[in-house]
Amino acid sequence: MRRALAALVVTAAAVVLLARYETHPPPRLEPPAKPVRAPAPARPGVKSGTGPLINTPFSSIQVRAELTRGRLTGVRTLALTGSDAHTKAINARAEPILRERALVAGSADVDVVSGATYTSESWIESLRAAIRAARG
Amino acid sequence: MGILVRVAVRDGGCDPPAVDAAFAWLRFVDATFSTYLPGSEISRIGRGELEPADAHPLVRAVLARCQRLRAETGGAFDARAPLGGPPDPSGYVKGWAVERAAALLQAGGARDLCVDAGGDVCLRGGPWRVGVRHPRRRDRLAAVLELRDGAVATSGAYERGPHIVDPRTGRPAAGALSVTIVGPDLGTADAYATAAFAMGRRGPAWTARLEGYGAMTILDDDRVLDTAEFARHCPAGALEAA
Repeated sequence: MRRALAALVVTAAAVVLLARYETHPPPRLEPPAKPVRAPAPARPGVKSGTGPLINTPFSSIQVRAELTRGRLTGVRTLALTGSDAHTKAINARAEPILRERALVAGSADVDVVSGATYTSESWIESLRAAIRAARG
Repeated sequence: MGILVRVAVRDGGCDPPAVDAAFAWLRFVDATFSTYLPGSEISRIGRGELEPADAHPLVRAVLARCQRLRAETGGAFDARAPLGGPPDPSGYVKGWAVERAAALLQAGGARDLCVDAGGDVCLRGGPWRVGVRHPRRRDRLAAVLELRDGAVATSGAYERGPHIVDPRTGRPAAGALSVTIVGPDLGTADAYATAAFAMGRRGPAWTARLEGYGAMTILDDDRVLDTAEFARHCPAGALEAA
């Protein structure tokens, strides 16, 4: 939990740092984005917390965290705007930053399940043997 | 390839000959590309009896695609022949073959279909709900995806099973329990999943740069890292705690 929170802070900090990146020439300011209100929790036991809308000189950012029984299970970027092309380009790169959450063991009604199987495991085995052979 | 291929057509509108054609195609792929069958073109290339240039056009196309995937993954996906052994494009061939089987079924009138090749799935129509197997608990899910047209592939070593070896180091890839890739093409998704898994802890950062393909990596410390493109396919609240 502590590690997950630390990582969340690091992710948020990374986004903020990127958004604060100096641009030349100084950008034209846009009106700040409107804060998004956190929706009601969808499931029992799930709590979500919405961070404040952070306005940097170049963009606005707001992040929501979701906790299930005290464990971090989701991080969502609610608002992310840039005020000039360069900042937008940086933010476009910042946005694909990986979201981190804790592994859950859940169930759901699904049509099909994706998972590694005998085939890929044997492929791995054969690759491993092949490399061993290749290395003599 | 010795895998079970399951086809589900929900709208019931597929001509039986198209189903036969799809399975005949998969049998042809197996006979041509299998590394287990001594008479397959891939095995013959491996023994030096067949020059790749003289191989079936589809074999040449697949080997060329594997070469591009090797470059794209910085060598983490590698189907080249190790010394003395046959080339092994299986990591790409299965998904590629399933995509073509799905196209044959669509030509037969199927609109709403799901082809499941041992946990790698190709979907049309939909929406289809795809669970991602929990790496430690066989009967549980780690995520749920919802998509119409696309593919989902997972690479992993479960229950402390064999580890994927990073072809660049020859050492087992450490750090990841499974990698799931979602995107338009199953062969590519499968190769990306294999590559990202082989990269271990460096895999997630690599997947974040993929275009058009989303990724979820489950690390061995039970952290889950997914990309925005992956999260886009995850319906909120789909997974119930169990």
